[in-house]
Amino acid sequence: MNEAPRRITLDEWDRRHAELWAAGLREPDYGGPLRRHVDDGDLRLLSLEMDNSAAALRLWNFLLTEEERLHRARDEGKKIVGTMKDLGTVPVMAYSLPDVVAFYPDGAWWIPCVMQRSAGLLEIADSLGLDDSFCPVRAMVGAYVNEAHFPIPELTTCSVGATCDDVSALAQRLEALGFPILWWEMPHRRRPDAEEAAVQLSGGFRAPESQIAWVQSELQRVRDALEEHTGQRLTDELLAAGIERANRVRRRLAELRRLAFTADACPMPALEMLIAEMLAIHFCSDQHETIRVLEDLLEEVENRVRSGVGVLAPQAVRVFWVNPVADLRVMNLLEDAGGRICGTEYLFCHALDPIPEDLPPMEALARMALADPMAGPSADRAERICAEARRFGAEAVVISHIPGASHCAIEAAVIGQMVRTRLALPVLEIEVPPITDSMEPTLRTRLEALIETVTERRKR
Amino acid sequence: MICAGIDAGSRTIKVVLLESDTLAVIAADTMDQGVEQDALAMRLLERLLQQNGLRRGDVHTIVATGYGRKLITTADATVTEITCQGCGVRQRMPQARTVVDIGGQDSKLVRLHPDGAVADFVMNDRCAAGTGRFLEVLATRLGVKLGSLGTLAGKSQSPAIISNMCVVFAETEIVGLLASGIGPEDIVAGVQASIATRVAAMAGRKVGSPVVFTGGVALVPGMDDALESALEEPVTIAPDPQITGALGAAILAARRASDR
Repeated sequence: MNEAPRRITLDEWDRRHAELWAAGLREPDYGGPLRRHVDDGDLRLLSLEMDNSAAALRLWNFLLTEEERLHRARDEGKKIVGTMKDLGTVPVMAYSLPDVVAFYPDGAWWIPCVMQRSAGLLEIADSLGLDDSFCPVRAMVGAYVNEAHFPIPELTTCSVGATCDDVSALAQRLEALGFPILWWEMPHRRRPDAEEAAVQLSGGFRAPESQIAWVQSELQRVRDALEEHTGQRLTDELLAAGIERANRVRRRLAELRRLAFTADACPMPALEMLIAEMLAIHFCSDQHETIRVLEDLLEEVENRVRSGVGVLAPQAVRVFWVNPVADLRVMNLLEDAGGRICGTEYLFCHALDPIPEDLPPMEALARMALADPMAGPSADRAERICAEARRFGAEAVVISHIPGASHCAIEAAVIGQMVRTRLALPVLEIEVPPITDSMEPTLRTRLEALIETVTERRKR
Repeated sequence: MICAGIDAGSRTIKVVLLESDTLAVIAADTMDQGVEQDALAMRLLERLLQQNGLRRGDVHTIVATGYGRKLITTADATVTEITCQGCGVRQRMPQARTVVDIGGQDSKLVRLHPDGAVADFVMNDRCAAGTGRFLEVLATRLGVKLGSLGTLAGKSQSPAIISNMCVVFAETEIVGLLASGIGPEDIVAGVQASIATRVAAMAGRKVGSPVVFTGGVALVPGMDDALESALEEPVTIAPDPQITGALGAAILAARRASDR
């Protein structure tokens, strides 16, 4: 049943769902009214406005049923792999094996938001000495300890080194609590010396061949561990097929982003786009279904773009957003203030780039892993942000800090300075904790001021 | 045609009545903020109108700004204090390139283009250490009036160094300094320097000159000197620094009125 695209509240979704059903909507087995998730404790939905399409309904239901999916996988005897910190490489390897499900334990950082802190995960972390001087990813430790969210995986991997100090510290604490972890090291990506053999990476980066070889050897250890824990051989053929499937996800996301960020009328809200992008990292514990969810979303966006309709006012200010937000509500807030997302860098933009299919699979994966924006100098990341902001015609840049996240303290100054110098765009830095209710007026003021600044620039 | 700007700040409400054709200020005043922000703002507006022989119906357009702007029910539009400060300062001091506004509960630094439009801004409203709240805490702790802090600071020969980053801990530190015999004048000067340093740190890079100082804290003697020292740039206090936000709101109201 067609309805003009717009953001709607959960109350409105109750009615909308009934209408869609009456009009013949068929949903997958995890489908149903969004209200049931509130009954399960996902209280934040009451404060959000969501896109009113059937495709968005499917996306939300897919996201909010991941825990059920993981428990079902355990019941069915599938092997479960937790891939910590790694943003988009080990899951591709794991999903290359049949009957293996990979997930992203760090994703538990959204549980305090979605459940409005009712799950007590941050409190468990606090009790273990992991207080709010750490990134909200510490919720993951709580989830491992109380086992109330995801089943404890047979194998947990974690990349360390030039990735994220907080996650490394949290994962080390987890191991000390009795959860074994397979560590693999990510070197700090450096620019090759003049005479050094080098390779081009996605995102416009270059790295010495020797670093690729190192990462490849580390990923080989992960491959060996996957084979050992699953009792299956992870052949190059299986890996190549897994890479091809991952690229199907990435291609759909690339097209979704292109349309959403460049259409005159914004065809999909920032919130749904954020969740869709996150699927690239971990596939929400079902790679095949991820492709179907994205295809639905892409079809909806294509239809809207074709019809010239959108969810926001046509004059909405085009904002490039850096870093994911701990509180999903802030994406609504940006749009309430008069902005729209035109470009994002949520720390895993390398996981949105296609993995080379013309290289030996392990080398291709090593190259992608080393293209992680966090693994290199902040200036590299800033370069990519500037290039993308220019490409999507951004009029302002928001750098969203994750409270306690060690990388945020140093990156923002570098990124902000480069954006101001190269693009002459206004830059806003904000900090977004898991629940922003008490600071909403101040966040709103900052975002509105940014929109006013750009609106005034347009008149000049 | 008469327009009004209402700045519903965290500590005070400011109202400016403006003749929209000439942008001449008809009247301006302030009042302490309270719980009933809308009612208080209306009371101040009505008082100003009455004092000038005007009625509510004479006001064509009202723009509200400030922390409580969304609560002003009679406003025709709301605009953030960042835009309004830029606009108000531009009116009073067209050459300004940077506005430092320190209020009771927040501080902001607004960079202006040569034509007066806002280029960029930074804002602190999560830490009281860079705001007027620090001075209030200090005045209470020293048992002196807020207005006399500047006179006290003027007598300082050796400003105390306030190490703590948080007002709550800094208050404890002040108790310790007093106990160790440091004079109130040196403590006040130290706190002023601490606030100014925080604002300068927020800027993060060299600020454009001229720098104009607004907000209630600009009325505290000595704060401009502290700010000059921290920013390493001359600082000029705006005329009527407390009402530049409301003035900007009134000017924007006048623009809206002429656009209609």
